[in-house]
Amino acid sequence: MISFRNVSKVYNGSVKALNGVSLHIDKGEFVFAVGASGAGKSTLIKMIYREETPSGGQVFVLGKDLAKMRRREVPYFRRRIGVVFQDFKLLEHKNAWENVSFALEVTGTSRREINRRVSQALNLVGLLDRREAFPNELSGGEQQRIAIARALVRNPDILLADEPTGNLDPKTSMEIFSLLERANLYGTTVVVATHAQDIVNNLRKRVVELRDGTLVRDERRGAYSC
Amino acid sequence: MFSQTFRSLWRNKLSSFLSSLTTGFALFLLGTSFLVSINLGYMYQMAESQMEIQAYMNKEASDAELAAAVTQIRDMPGVSEVKFVSKEAALEELKDMFKDKASVLDSLEEDSPLPPSVRVNTTGAEQIPVVVEALKSIDVINDVIYQEEVSERLAQIGKAVQYLSLGGMLIVGIVAVMVIANSIRLAIDARRQEIGIMKLVGATDGFVLMPFLLEGVFLGLLGSALGTGFAVGVYNWVAGKIAEFIPFMPIVGLETQSIQEMFGIMALTGVIVGLTGSAFSVRRHLRV
Ligand SMILES: Nc1ncnc2c1ncn2[C@@H]1O[C@H](COP(=O)(O)OP(=O)(O)OP(=O)(O)O)[C@@H](O)[C@H]1O
Ligand SMILES: [Mg+2]
Repeated sequence: MISFRNVSKVYNGSVKALNGVSLHIDKGEFVFAVGASGAGKSTLIKMIYREETPSGGQVFVLGKDLAKMRRREVPYFRRRIGVVFQDFKLLEHKNAWENVSFALEVTGTSRREINRRVSQALNLVGLLDRREAFPNELSGGEQQRIAIARALVRNPDILLADEPTGNLDPKTSMEIFSLLERANLYGTTVVVATHAQDIVNNLRKRVVELRDGTLVRDERRGAYSC
Repeated sequence: MFSQTFRSLWRNKLSSFLSSLTTGFALFLLGTSFLVSINLGYMYQMAESQMEIQAYMNKEASDAELAAAVTQIRDMPGVSEVKFVSKEAALEELKDMFKDKASVLDSLEEDSPLPPSVRVNTTGAEQIPVVVEALKSIDVINDVIYQEEVSERLAQIGKAVQYLSLGGMLIVGIVAVMVIANSIRLAIDARRQEIGIMKLVGATDGFVLMPFLLEGVFLGLLGSALGTGFAVGVYNWVAGKIAEFIPFMPIVGLETQSIQEMFGIMALTGVIVGLTGSAFSVRRHLRV
């Protein structure tokens, strides 16, 4: 499903963010990516939905070699992946409902189907009653949940989350991780970059650890640190 | 799609408003230069129509000969108007001019000492020398009088006015296009994050571009309506003031047709620039 072969990433010709990373993730897996700040977790995630392309090596996702993918194929490819961004990336001029429905509008889904699935997704994250609110009227945790609803509303094959609990309290964080787990139960492959030590230790999923851009650990049912 | 465009315009109302205001102002300048050029053309035409050639004819010529000459003149190329002044009519005019000194002219009652003449207007100042030559070649015409230098100058000025107003409109047009394009670019740059997010969520370039194009067209139209409104308002005000203080200055009254023409030019400029400006500005942010 996701395959990294000796992948390197150099930003601006000097900053080495990833260094010879090889990694294989199967369909239906739940993977935590951990590591200190600046270790390369976000870069790893960005490579999967092709916001960044590798400087060296190959990335295969959903059966496609991303380096060979044409520019016009990218939107259709991205529609099969749900992403919860580290900085949410909600549209400021759209309210909660519109932010989620937008993800379906781009695919040309019918109005009725959109209404059905958006209410489902907002219900799942417990924010159906805040659907009229704009991002600046929502708390950080609520924005985070809208971002998750947007990522899940298309029933993606892959769900990527970059620090989905960045600055949330433990209880809300736990709720968010159970949402991700729930999506995983339905068959979605989930990759989460996180610093949430307790949660990683509790859930005992596969853990990959990066250090200065190098993959230093890959453990089934791993802990945050060894 | 349309409702989305209006919602987006409304939510970005400050920037939409500023863009259409800027567009309106730029087009106002274009409209003003258009109106000034209409007026220069009109003034020139007025001056031109007042350029008259006087051809004095033989006093002894018979009425038939005179009539034949007048017909011949009417048929000349470049001639727009011919007015025949008979001996008697010429005397009447003279008397009219000196009516307070009627006694001086009383002795002239019997036989007019003045020759009959024709007054000829041409279709343009540049036609005058040609028409003058043709008139001189007619037998019954003794003498041709016209303002040679003035007509030459006028023909030159006519050309200059044409080039100047065309050049002026071109320059103002280019400036207007740049101002509008720049305001669109700024407005869209402010939304580059939005464009990037749309792309990351899986929107195609066309899907992202479409509402921006509609907005561009809409702002172009709104701007040209504003611009026409400003231009017509200011023009009527200025024309009123001029009529008040310089009553003899010829000023074109604005007819519905010229207002429509002006709006047409502006709307075309506004929409084309709105469309291409939006397309180019958005494109710069689509590579995500
Ligand atoms: N667009 C960019 N341009 C230049 N350098 C970048 C860019 N993005 C990331 N980097 C650099 O690449 C390295 C890895 O960054 P990355 O964002 O992947 O780290 P991270 O593990 O996600 O960190 P954090 O836990 O703080 O989110 C860092 O040194 C960072 O400064
Ligand atoms: Mg990061």
